[in-house]
Amino acid sequence: MVDAGAASLAASDKVGVTRAWVPWAWSGFLIAVLAFLVLYPTSMLLIGALTTTNPVVEGYSLSDISIGNFLAVVMNPNVAAALGNALLACAGGTAVAVAIGLAFAWVVVRTNTPCKGLIASAGMLPLFVPPLVAGVAWSILGSPKTGLLNLLLNKAGIPFRFDLYSMSGIIFVFGIYYAPYVYMFTAAALRNMDPALEDAAEISGASATRTMATVTFPLIMPAILSGMLLSFVVMLGIYGIPAVLGAPANISVLTTYIFALTAWSPPRYNTAAAVAVILMIVTGVLVYLQQKIVSGRSYTTVAGKAFRPRPLNLGKWRFMTLGLAILYLFVVVVLPTIALFIAAFRKFLFIKDIPALFETKQYGWQHFIKMFDNPLTIASIINSIKVGIITAIVGGLLSFAIGYTITRTRAPGRRMIDVITTIPVAIPGLVIGVAYLWAWIGLPGGLYGTLWILALAFVARFIPDTVKALSTSLLQIHRELEEAAWICGRGTLSTIASIVLPLARPGVVAAMTLLFILSMRELGSSLFLYSSGTMVMAVQLLGYYEGGNIGITAAFSLVQMVLLGVLISFTNWLSRPGRGSAAIKPDTAPTGVVRSG
Amino acid sequence: MSSELRVEQLRKVFTTTTAQGPALKAAVDDVSFTIAAGEIVVLLGPSGCGKTTTLRCVAGLEHPTSGKIVIGGTVYTDPQGGVLVPPRNRNLGMVFQSYAVWPHMTVRQNVAYPLKSRGVKGAAQDKAVKEALDLVELSTYADRPVTQLSGGQMQRVALARSMVYQPQILLLDEPLSNLDAQLRLRLRDDLRRIIKRVGLTALYVTHDQTEAVVLGDRIGVMRDGKLLQLDTPSAIYNEPADLFVAGFTGATNVIEGRLVSRDGAFGVVAVASGEHVNARVGGTVAPGTAVRVALRPDNVVLNPVGPGVNRFLGGVSTRHYQGTQTVYQVSVLGAEIEALEVGSAARHDENTQVTVGLPPEACWAYPVAG
Repeated sequence: MVDAGAASLAASDKVGVTRAWVPWAWSGFLIAVLAFLVLYPTSMLLIGALTTTNPVVEGYSLSDISIGNFLAVVMNPNVAAALGNALLACAGGTAVAVAIGLAFAWVVVRTNTPCKGLIASAGMLPLFVPPLVAGVAWSILGSPKTGLLNLLLNKAGIPFRFDLYSMSGIIFVFGIYYAPYVYMFTAAALRNMDPALEDAAEISGASATRTMATVTFPLIMPAILSGMLLSFVVMLGIYGIPAVLGAPANISVLTTYIFALTAWSPPRYNTAAAVAVILMIVTGVLVYLQQKIVSGRSYTTVAGKAFRPRPLNLGKWRFMTLGLAILYLFVVVVLPTIALFIAAFRKFLFIKDIPALFETKQYGWQHFIKMFDNPLTIASIINSIKVGIITAIVGGLLSFAIGYTITRTRAPGRRMIDVITTIPVAIPGLVIGVAYLWAWIGLPGGLYGTLWILALAFVARFIPDTVKALSTSLLQIHRELEEAAWICGRGTLSTIASIVLPLARPGVVAAMTLLFILSMRELGSSLFLYSSGTMVMAVQLLGYYEGGNIGITAAFSLVQMVLLGVLISFTNWLSRPGRGSAAIKPDTAPTGVVRSG
Repeated sequence: MSSELRVEQLRKVFTTTTAQGPALKAAVDDVSFTIAAGEIVVLLGPSGCGKTTTLRCVAGLEHPTSGKIVIGGTVYTDPQGGVLVPPRNRNLGMVFQSYAVWPHMTVRQNVAYPLKSRGVKGAAQDKAVKEALDLVELSTYADRPVTQLSGGQMQRVALARSMVYQPQILLLDEPLSNLDAQLRLRLRDDLRRIIKRVGLTALYVTHDQTEAVVLGDRIGVMRDGKLLQLDTPSAIYNEPADLFVAGFTGATNVIEGRLVSRDGAFGVVAVASGEHVNARVGGTVAPGTAVRVALRPDNVVLNPVGPGVNRFLGGVSTRHYQGTQTVYQVSVLGAEIEALEVGSAARHDENTQVTVGLPPEACWAYPVAG
């Protein structure tokens, strides 16, 4: 058909032999990048935990490396107290989360409660609230002396007082905010369960409660356990909630204790590293258990055929379940939002009686004006956006490169790349922060103190999520689409540019936006890596809170919530169904947000 | 422009994990054949027989363990000699099972893509694309997004894309298996006409016998990585080389026996009932060997007219009337065999006696071992 084509082909008929070193060089490059991002900081953290030299003053030294240094920290009663508090808070929080999440799942999947679709989607909202904002809102509501709820109780003449500045306060807030996690796991399991299994039990003569105890629960047990372990792990890594609610009552958990150690004068970097290692070990064990449960789920409840679980007719009781669901949503969404609004717009938070609550002259923009008068506010927003953009671009490109290498090539060492990529799943953000601190603080003129160290730490922290999302997206592109391009005369890079990237674009864009959102709200790792010139939003918010100005704190919380809300709606819009087959799965977005706490 | 393809002693070994640990499995085992320029060869076999792996080795998408692939006198694959030309430098055309048309491009962009890789621009590109689309009768669809096309039209786009640059060889990997039955029949006839008009050398892979017979100048039957027989369709159907090829062409009746004597291409087989059957025998089978006699149901004649050899007394056990044909289960020679008669009238009743005629040239005796 084309002689020109034939002629040019004959000219290019330089029978090219495959260059065998290229895949090796590529794998080597990726492993080097991952080593730089993940392995080097974690190793430095371990070294820090085993030595006593101050990296800022003395540089890095291996001279006094000894397990004794680590054991000395473990034996410290303060560390033991922090560990005990952390385990207690997370265990309690998980118990509350399981009770709420399981009930919610049952109501939504198995009953004829009205508006359950709406309930289900509203129930996911707490996942998007940054923990620090949740903590601030609840301190406004439930501080023992000035909390809005307590003022109301006082006016109503009820002698009871809420005290959120306590262990039970932390447990309560943990529980209500991480219940959606348990819900996600158990609702899916309940939905996928063949109702015939329960029918069979009832036909065999078991009562409804007996069926539930002997068939339903054992079948969804792996899902419950899995959701439990993950919510436990997420709570363990959270800084914002225990920092706000625990500090007034002198309750420190592992995360707040680690930060306190680095804030002391002089900073106790070695001890901080050792406590971070303890936190990492606990997290690692729990994540390992969770992965084992997920992969080894012995009973398959998914039968492969389509069925619609028969909802239980609750009769009049369905309005009670609806009421309970609305109560939960009121407590976890409406109440904190009202609190933030009142605190942000009211001149003084002291409210002497109910009519005073509605005096319009008490309200105004004064806190917002004051907040924006502080140059650090704008600077922190701009810095956060900058860090977000760097994280999205670097993380997006790297995740695409890794995802493509793992799913699409036969490059040597791709299993190893896969494994290193998943390591950060078991490292809480705060620990990544300490690890990066250790890795760079002793190298003068390096990364420490720049926006890049924040961005790189975020990339390392979120890389498991984005690689997983992009791999899913890449796996949806049929192999033969790529092979057809090779046959047509294109090389690997040209094929990626003209075929793979355009087809995976919705997934790539969604993953990058997700990275942007996650890094905008990340507090745990930022705490250790910001400097006066690189203040970011989440840390600035903590600064306002610790400065004692509740009005500005609430105002800034609202600004952040609005920013995040806009961004999240934008992501949902990007990944909405029908925008290309390779769009990111809707359920990967909340997972990413959740793991970050 | 089309070239000769020579495949020499191709082997592809995979490492598989079994209960006993890793084991080596040959997906393609010592396959050799030559396709003359302009010829269409169809590789036929059940799934997992190595036909697709062979094709992908020719394309350069798989790397064989050993062997040579020579196209138009140039060696493209020779692992021992360190030659593995990547697919992009082979100048081959390939039509994939999944069509593999790019969903983010229009019909024209899909077809022009390989020309762009070759630096064909402007008027030359437009002319080539137009000719290719004319050939597959899709000219009016040139500016549609491919996602708006039907399966059959997508497959035509894939065909146009694979031929627009006059490749040395056209490779087709089960191109019709994703289409519905009616479309498959139409496109099957079109495919051969189009390939022949352009005069391309083609290697075609399928598991469908009728597709192979209609499309191929020659058919190669594969099983367990081995090429069992490569011959014209009529030779495959009338002189299958072994029991497997015979079975694949539809010879589902198998009668056990022992070769008593032979005379040239024919021999006498003693079966379990003691009766003697005349059958065609392969060259190396000696008298005394245990053999299986295979024949197709449509070659069994019930109550034949006139004299002849291989006439036996049998009984009709069951009758399955299928409208335009009738399948009988007949007990004869101490075995149960199937007989197929064409026509809408069923001639024999169940539980009646019939004379069963087995034409010797349609009875093929193969040694039992191997």
